[in-house]
Amino acid sequence: MENRTTPVTTQELWAKLFLSPSVEEYLAENGDACSLPTFSEYITALANLKGEKPVQIIKRGDIEASYGHRLFTGARTPSRDTVLQMAFGLELGTDETQQLLKVAHASPLHPKVKRDAVIAFCLHRHYSLAEAQAALFENGLPVLGGASRGKR
Amino acid sequence: MERDELLQAILDSCNDEIYPMPFLSEYTIMECLSDRNGISTFLVADREGTSFVAKCYENDVYTVSDSEEIRNSLSHDGLPKYRESFRNENMTVIVREYIEGIPLSRYAADNQLSEKEIIDFCVGLCDILAYLHHREAPVIHRDIKPQNIIVRPDKSLVLIDFDIARIYRSEKDTDTVFFGTLAYAPPEQYGFSQTDARTDIYSLGILLRFLLTGSTRENKNVKVYKPLARIIEKCTAFSPKERFSDVDQVKKALLAANPRTQRIRKILMGVCVAGAAALLVFAGVKIYQAVTWTPFSEDAIPAYASDEERVADAVSLMKEKYGTTLFDDPGKTATIGNLRAVLIEVYGLDRDYVYGFNEDRPQESDEFFLPWGYDDDQLMDRDTCAYAAVKAYDPERVADWSSVKDDNGFYPGLRVAMAFAEETGILTGANKPKDITVGDMALIFANADRVFSAAE
Repeated sequence: MENRTTPVTTQELWAKLFLSPSVEEYLAENGDACSLPTFSEYITALANLKGEKPVQIIKRGDIEASYGHRLFTGARTPSRDTVLQMAFGLELGTDETQQLLKVAHASPLHPKVKRDAVIAFCLHRHYSLAEAQAALFENGLPVLGGASRGKR
Repeated sequence: MERDELLQAILDSCNDEIYPMPFLSEYTIMECLSDRNGISTFLVADREGTSFVAKCYENDVYTVSDSEEIRNSLSHDGLPKYRESFRNENMTVIVREYIEGIPLSRYAADNQLSEKEIIDFCVGLCDILAYLHHREAPVIHRDIKPQNIIVRPDKSLVLIDFDIARIYRSEKDTDTVFFGTLAYAPPEQYGFSQTDARTDIYSLGILLRFLLTGSTRENKNVKVYKPLARIIEKCTAFSPKERFSDVDQVKKALLAANPRTQRIRKILMGVCVAGAAALLVFAGVKIYQAVTWTPFSEDAIPAYASDEERVADAVSLMKEKYGTTLFDDPGKTATIGNLRAVLIEVYGLDRDYVYGFNEDRPQESDEFFLPWGYDDDQLMDRDTCAYAAVKAYDPERVADWSSVKDDNGFYPGLRVAMAFAEETGILTGANKPKDITVGDMALIFANADRVFSAAE
């Protein structure tokens, strides 16, 4: 699986993450800076970075509330679509979204995939999830969270 | 609107025209799983939203006819099911079942796999490979690696990605195009010679090493369970000739290397060793017994309710067997004279032999029966009687002092005789050490008679 990562932005993001108390805590506990954080740890760190509560992010990502909270606690593993909804909830750009997908072990947004291209465009433009869903729908593409779940 | 124009430009850049139209109308591309070497692998969804995997081969890079042949004819639980294929001038697309599960690469990273689980996985993989290799036209996968093995929720395995699998054609000398994944590819896949089943066996060995050590390279510092290390070594031999020639052999070796099998084997070995040891001990005991065999058993002496009965029995035995009346007064205190009379009359010993003694100093000898020169009216003690009884039946026994460990100067023959009498039961019922009766004497002689008679 090819991961299209963007080093500079990723490094910046990591630099920010390392400053946040929750990540420091995470590292103090785990002591292994090389391993990827878990999805729940990562989104918790990003929420802290934004200074927002999970509930606001879950709402913005149009994720069912109890499911969303389980994602924050690590009790659930998200599908790729849910990871993308979470990206809209966290108001991430494309690069940060790629990183989020990597952490979730999901395939990155790929330029050869039309749907991915639309999603990437919407993220880049900081569209809301509703706007992104509209863009997908208008172009005859499956909306986020609407299709069968496929991970890998 | 500017924003719509940009979006349109992005959509246009996706260049869908290269894919066969019927494919695009049937399926929506949802994700790109991989994109390399002119092959793109997509997760697609049909109109019902069911997921499939579509492999798109650029025609100028890859000829897929072989793959399609294979795919159409293969049907195994451990292989994804073929659905359909599409083709245009640019591209050949093959749609297959999407396997729900986790790649073994991630499964191994997320779970601490035990040796047993690793063996189970590799055995499962052997079964899949056996299906491929044992076909009339053997199929060599040639890209076996943890990323291409999906672990289903029920932990069964599915081998995916037939990019470079091809039917083995013995007339082909070398495979011209190198694909495969470097770390898992054997030397011949670099073009040394044509790849055959042993190519997959090589990769299987590397996979086994990866699962056990976390690395595809040999690391001397990581200790690998020995039976498995041997399998890795044989799978990954440089020369294909030195490898296992068939996956069934690998499977057999893996099953034999299973720690549980090994444990059973060890137990069996232990049982065998214990059995052999027991046999040795048994044989040793038998040999020891044969060497030190003694014909004397303790049950030669019958049990009696009382000493009186025992004495009466002894007296009657001596009387009946030897026709002697010397024991007719069992209550009488016995003397050396009584003993000498018995030796002469009952056992037919020479009078001089019985009466003679070494005048210089009392000692046991072959020359005289008794070591001492007692008067006939001297009272008898039990030990003297026992010595006389043993010597009367078996003179050699009391002359052989080898069993006497100490030499305290006191009649070794007597001590040998006493030990023997004690051991064989000759002293049974003779409880009084000194001033014994004629009955006691009869008892000791009768016991000795029974012991020696039983041993004959």
